[in-house]
Amino acid sequence: MNTLGNRGFRKALVLPMSIGKGFRNIFISIARFFSSLFHQIAAGDLWVKSSLLLCGMGYFGRRQYGKGILATLLQLAALCLFPVFFLPYLRKFDTLGDVERQTIFNPETLKNEVNAFDDSFQILLFGVVGILFLFACLILYVKNISWVSALQKKAEEGKHINSLREDFSSLFHEKFHITLLSLPVICVVVFSVVPLLVMILAGFTNFDRFHFPPARLFTWVGLDNFHALFESSLTATFGYSFRKILLWTLIWAFLATFTNYYGGILLALFINHRQTRFKKFWRTAFVIPIAVPQFVSLLLVRNFFANTGIVNTLFSQWGVTDFFRNLGLISSGAAYIPFLTDPNWAKAMIILINMWVGIPYMMLLSTGVLMNIPGDLLESAQIDGANAFQRFRKITMPYIRFVTGPYLVSSLIGNINNFNIIYLLTNDIYVTSDQLLANSNAREVDLLVTWLYRLTQDFNNYKMASVLGMAIFLICAGFTLLTFSRMNQGNKEETFQ
Amino acid sequence: MKKLLVLLAAVVLIGVLITSAVTDEKIQLLVWVGDDADQEWIEGVIDGFQQADPDHQFQIRVGIVPEPDAKIAILQDPTASADVFTFAHDQILELYGAGALQEIVMNSEAVINANGGKNAGAIQAAMMNDRLYAYPATADNGYFMFYNKEYFSEEDILTLDRMLEIAAQNGKYFSYDLDAAWYLYSFFAGAGLQLEMQADQSNLCNWNAADTEITGVQVAQAILDIAAHPGFINQSDAEFIAGIKDGSVIAGVNGAWNARAAQEAWGENYAAAKLPLFTVAGQQRQMASFAGYKLVGVNAYSANVGHAMRFAEYMTNYESQMKRFELRGQGPSNMQAASSPAVMADPAIAALTAQDAYAQAQNVGPNYWAPADTFGAIMAAGNPEGTDLQALLDQMVAGITAPVQ
Repeated sequence: MNTLGNRGFRKALVLPMSIGKGFRNIFISIARFFSSLFHQIAAGDLWVKSSLLLCGMGYFGRRQYGKGILATLLQLAALCLFPVFFLPYLRKFDTLGDVERQTIFNPETLKNEVNAFDDSFQILLFGVVGILFLFACLILYVKNISWVSALQKKAEEGKHINSLREDFSSLFHEKFHITLLSLPVICVVVFSVVPLLVMILAGFTNFDRFHFPPARLFTWVGLDNFHALFESSLTATFGYSFRKILLWTLIWAFLATFTNYYGGILLALFINHRQTRFKKFWRTAFVIPIAVPQFVSLLLVRNFFANTGIVNTLFSQWGVTDFFRNLGLISSGAAYIPFLTDPNWAKAMIILINMWVGIPYMMLLSTGVLMNIPGDLLESAQIDGANAFQRFRKITMPYIRFVTGPYLVSSLIGNINNFNIIYLLTNDIYVTSDQLLANSNAREVDLLVTWLYRLTQDFNNYKMASVLGMAIFLICAGFTLLTFSRMNQGNKEETFQ
Repeated sequence: MKKLLVLLAAVVLIGVLITSAVTDEKIQLLVWVGDDADQEWIEGVIDGFQQADPDHQFQIRVGIVPEPDAKIAILQDPTASADVFTFAHDQILELYGAGALQEIVMNSEAVINANGGKNAGAIQAAMMNDRLYAYPATADNGYFMFYNKEYFSEEDILTLDRMLEIAAQNGKYFSYDLDAAWYLYSFFAGAGLQLEMQADQSNLCNWNAADTEITGVQVAQAILDIAAHPGFINQSDAEFIAGIKDGSVIAGVNGAWNARAAQEAWGENYAAAKLPLFTVAGQQRQMASFAGYKLVGVNAYSANVGHAMRFAEYMTNYESQMKRFELRGQGPSNMQAASSPAVMADPAIAALTAQDAYAQAQNVGPNYWAPADTFGAIMAAGNPEGTDLQALLDQMVAGITAPVQ
């Protein structure tokens, strides 16, 4: 136990150390890059030096006219595009605009006449795009110098210099990876990086119901929103609610993940057992719920377990309700079991219903894994006298855990953000009895993400959505790093070969 | 040569298409109504509108967005949502705040007068800062009481005490949604306590007052007594309907949208009335209520904002509201329509009209709902932890009056 603890401790130290190392490496490579850049410029001939002014010159000098024209055109296009399109936005980027939208209705044309107003969101969005654009241009500009300097070197050494056609055809041969990857990279930047940056930046503004573009302006507020999050002043009891919800989120993620994980494995083991008959039937029976869209089945289940739902009706007819009352699990005056309306019952029910939804997936997954366990391993263990439980614990389980480790981590993260189950099962019907939570629009059963949804959707509070989103990301990222660094390292692979 | 001809033909064809698209001067409008069942009604309105204005060619498309969710759909991107939309009046605050509502500048005087003048509830609900921002469409979105005549006489329904007694005697229930802030309002407002939104959308609320004629604690105690009565049951909308169907509920407070279910279950015995009196601090007080209206708004970003206003006005005029009542049973806000014999004969609408004197347009900020829901839930459960009532009230009021961030 002690050695284990030590190992864990050392591993926990590895992470910050490697981050520090990473930063040092980055600085070193930046320094190297600049020193080689200056070297290239100093050693460059007239063509290279004039490339500093007109990017195409370095190619013209080596008779690469096509490339030269292309580079010059690109440079001109960037020089025109930037001041015409991006500069107006960037100029207002520091305030995110100061002219509010005003309209006057013109009864003659039956149209609104609108002033030249600032749209804070557009300024933010195109400001970010403009900065990225500027950055990309600078990188290309600097890269261009090393490219033309490489050309100079080739020319001096009398090596072959590619024609435009040769360069072009190389994109389909030795540089095919560039052709393949450029589209995905552009897509990632446009659809992923830019929206992410804009949404992160929104956390530093006052973008909310009172500052809703395009009709109203919003502006930078620095770290105010983060202060609000950690100093309990967003709502009167924000800090209390945040702590309480975070705790339940973690408990839920842990329980939901592991009940499904082990439940699925056990179910797969039962179904795969030699003595189980009608294997295909059982597998189908458990998989059928997957075929129904989740929100449909969840809303149905919610109706089943409503206070006046079918389960309660049956239970009170069968005397189960009385039985629970005698046990003290429900209050003496209650005529029904508050499956989804009492905090403790609701939490238990949510986890149970989640098992019903999630175990079939894990069952399918582990059925596949079980079929791949080398039979000789199990057989030799049996010959050595290991009983069924020992074989499960020492062979089957480690094997499954090894293969499904990454799945386990991703489903843990997925459960932290498991919006559907909680929201669909409890929205509109669950009312908290905790006044402190209520004053922050939170409920006992909320996860951070469902709370975030209601705080932002019902209140259009985008600034806090961004801040809470970042908090959730940090939690998820922390978990991922921690769990991945502690399991499934490549060096364990030979254990199973 | 052949290729050139084909190319030429293609260019001509594209040219014709483009010019025809440009010269086609149909005025495009997108209208959102709340329910599939409104389809027949709105199509009649569109036809009538087109016929009334043959000078313009309209192309009016219809979309379905439920009135309680209109805000969410519109605020996702006001510049790309419907030109004309129906919404429940409690959303006007946020729609106005986001600048999504066009101020009604055409014929606003006529609209105000048709709906009962500046002080009428429907107009109050459609106004922000003394200017009209929407057209009232219905006046039936509030709540009232419906009951089964088999059990209650006209005299029984005057006081809540008597109704609870009769329900208990028959082993049945009087149903009320106590853990919904919307209904909880009835008791506190009925006792004369204040709840009001201020300019910054925070609330002014004295429900915990100890120096008023009837104190907050007395109201809370009255609610506790009602909740503990064997003839009382706290039920959500869905449970209420289930209770009516299985016969366990013989009276309750709810809105017009659930009246039909009661009508079907009780048949001849279905009746509706204003809310009863309730006992607080030894006195009989009339239960208050929130009045509710459906409004038609015009998108401030509409490309055809003038025609959108004209259409919205047409959609909410006397004829359209009468049609709406005939097809959908929805109570008109237009005075002329509301006072027509057919409308007056409808029990639900008559009950709403009777309740009107004790109903206030919902003028509360967003922080009201969750704290009041929870207070209602604690009352409905009989204050199981025995917390001091004043402390409960203070905590609720702290939440209700918290600044809006």
